[in-house]
Amino acid sequence: MIYVHKIASVTPQKELLPASIDEVNESVNNVLKVVEPKYEGVPLSILRRMGKAVRMGVGAALPLINTLEFPLNGIVIGTANGGMEDCIKFLNQVIEFEEGTLTPTNFVQSTPNAIAAQLSLLSANNGYNITHVNRGLAFENALLDVWMLLKENKTHTYLLGGVEEISSYNYNIDYLADWFKKDEVSNKAMFASETEGTLSGEGSAMFIVNAFPEKAIAKIDALHLMHTDDVTEIERQLQHFFNQHLEDGQSIDVLVSGENGDIRSRHFFEASERLLKDATIVRFKHLTGDFATASALALTITCQLIQSNVLPDHMVKIDRHKKNINKVLIYNQHKGIQHSFILVSKPAA
Amino acid sequence: MSRIVVTGIGVVTALGDSVAANRDALKKGQCGISFLELFPSRYAETLRFGEVKISNEQLKQKFKVRDKGVTRTTLLAMHAFEEALQNSGLTNEQLTSYDTALIGANTVGGMCLTDELYHDANNDFEGSEYISSYDIGSVNIYMQKHYGIKGIGNTINTACSSSANAIMYGARLIQHGLAKRAIVGGSDSLAKFTINGFNSLQILSSEICRPFDASRQGLNLGEGAAYLVLEKQEDAVGKKVYAVLSGYCNASDAFHPSSLSDAGDGPYLAMSGAIQEAGLQSHQINFINAHGTATVNNDEVESKAMLRLFKDVPPFASTKSNTGHTLGGSGAIEAVYSILSIEHQELYPSLHFETAIESTGLKPLLNYVQQPVHHVMSNSFGFGGNCSSLIFSKA
Repeated sequence: MIYVHKIASVTPQKELLPASIDEVNESVNNVLKVVEPKYEGVPLSILRRMGKAVRMGVGAALPLINTLEFPLNGIVIGTANGGMEDCIKFLNQVIEFEEGTLTPTNFVQSTPNAIAAQLSLLSANNGYNITHVNRGLAFENALLDVWMLLKENKTHTYLLGGVEEISSYNYNIDYLADWFKKDEVSNKAMFASETEGTLSGEGSAMFIVNAFPEKAIAKIDALHLMHTDDVTEIERQLQHFFNQHLEDGQSIDVLVSGENGDIRSRHFFEASERLLKDATIVRFKHLTGDFATASALALTITCQLIQSNVLPDHMVKIDRHKKNINKVLIYNQHKGIQHSFILVSKPAA
Repeated sequence: MSRIVVTGIGVVTALGDSVAANRDALKKGQCGISFLELFPSRYAETLRFGEVKISNEQLKQKFKVRDKGVTRTTLLAMHAFEEALQNSGLTNEQLTSYDTALIGANTVGGMCLTDELYHDANNDFEGSEYISSYDIGSVNIYMQKHYGIKGIGNTINTACSSSANAIMYGARLIQHGLAKRAIVGGSDSLAKFTINGFNSLQILSSEICRPFDASRQGLNLGEGAAYLVLEKQEDAVGKKVYAVLSGYCNASDAFHPSSLSDAGDGPYLAMSGAIQEAGLQSHQINFINAHGTATVNNDEVESKAMLRLFKDVPPFASTKSNTGHTLGGSGAIEAVYSILSIEHQELYPSLHFETAIESTGLKPLLNYVQQPVHHVMSNSFGFGGNCSSLIFSKA
């Protein structure tokens, strides 16, 4: 059991959940880039030296750590690529200067563990420190790690996070590999799109988590991750997941669906909806775009939905008129082979 | 808590392409570090590397890999994985069941193809066959599909301690009942990216590296892979058990992005935490496979941390003097070497050492010896202060 106590995020939207569609920032050339705040918790001299992924991660997390009332026992981050802009800058130097004399700054910042490492350094934290990078299940493995840590150490508190940046690297590479749309589609119309590919996004989501229910904003009941391209397998495992984790009489109020406007993945999301005939179906990727750790932002959004008990209209695909948002299932998939279910509920008052 | 045992090991390095070949070279004190023969780099004839002298074509043929886009990092991983699988005796049914986890680690992924990546990332042509193989996760994701492994899959990156953390993570998945068995390890291949990265930090030695020597000048990069099969002791009845994974700890040095703190807080916390987890006293450790990269910073700090923790520092050595620093592969490769010391009750010497560091006076083990070996500690410390220690014990 994981209790979420604090959340912070950096997303392509000014507010995590814009109240109306008019307030939703629109994608530019099929890309949704983050709106970065001033990051007031981080010294400017340090911020200036950071690449975007490290800045988004550290900028969101450090204020959470610095205002913590209890000690932090470790830092667990999921990111498929970390600071790839720095990586590509260094790579370009290697090729363009034919392996000549190069400066190490970009190299040091390019390693995916730079976000967790910088956070430990800036918060003088000697605890557990790890970075999970298994692409579309990087954040889920970070979540699973924290789940195990809290079973091993029931009084501990951890920082959990997921971060991804759009860089020339991952945008070009994923574009050439046909993961992004070739036709121009606005994020506000992405779910109606009948073409292959999704919209590129980025963001940072940070959580303070422990096993204490008092004053928690959300409770993570269960998590399941899968590697398959078989839709019947997804259905079978989702049914099994419900049998395992929903008690008699319990049902899902809201499905937070990772639907991403790519017709090649639509059948996965339709399968999850078939098993949730009584749940309100909401979508979020028109706010964030799609990326390997988008499920981290899905969790932030879910926490916010549970806390506010309000669903903005632009997110709702099918409204089953739920009075209260008590139990939420997040279903996400990445590139058709990596899938996850995260069950989140409102903590008992 | 169950005891987690090792029921399979596989390794490929510059020392050899099997567990037996690696052990033989370690016993003889052989060094696999040389100028480059296969990998093209401006530094091929000026810097020395622990290069695996098997070409990508040979590796692809050996494993009948016909898929496009399979990189050397993946091929080396498969080499070690298949050996570990074979000597663990896991059936194909066990391998492909829902309770088998595959946990990998590396630091370069498909970036060993630096030139291809340059063109793909800068979008100057149609895209190469490696377009989906650059990220670090690509190695494990390919292997999971290739071998049909349906359990939990993960890849960890904590720089040079990556595969030590993969071993820890796999063991914990088993302890928590999330997997019945875990195949864990890591790999890395030589890449212009890392060669130039470490060169820009001025920590590559132009000579063969000299771990713990007063005149050490830096590290030699290497490549290789190792995998371990982990199971619960009660599930391994009747099987060959190589060793018990008795303790592990991950701690952060929280000091600097690319060097360790003077007092070695991270290394000290990782080593002492692993001893505590194993329920041991520090004097019970018979041998330490040190991180020992031969950089000025690491070896002095690691020595100080050992002096802080041990009243009498046990025999220690750095097998990076044999293999070079294999980065994401090193934690798992050195875990295999630690396990071999336990299996065969023998210790392997550190190479190229002459004079102790003045401030610490510590000398690594310089001769092959046979002696009772109950508990071996293996250290892995990475950039960003990611320090991990593992302890393997006699079953």
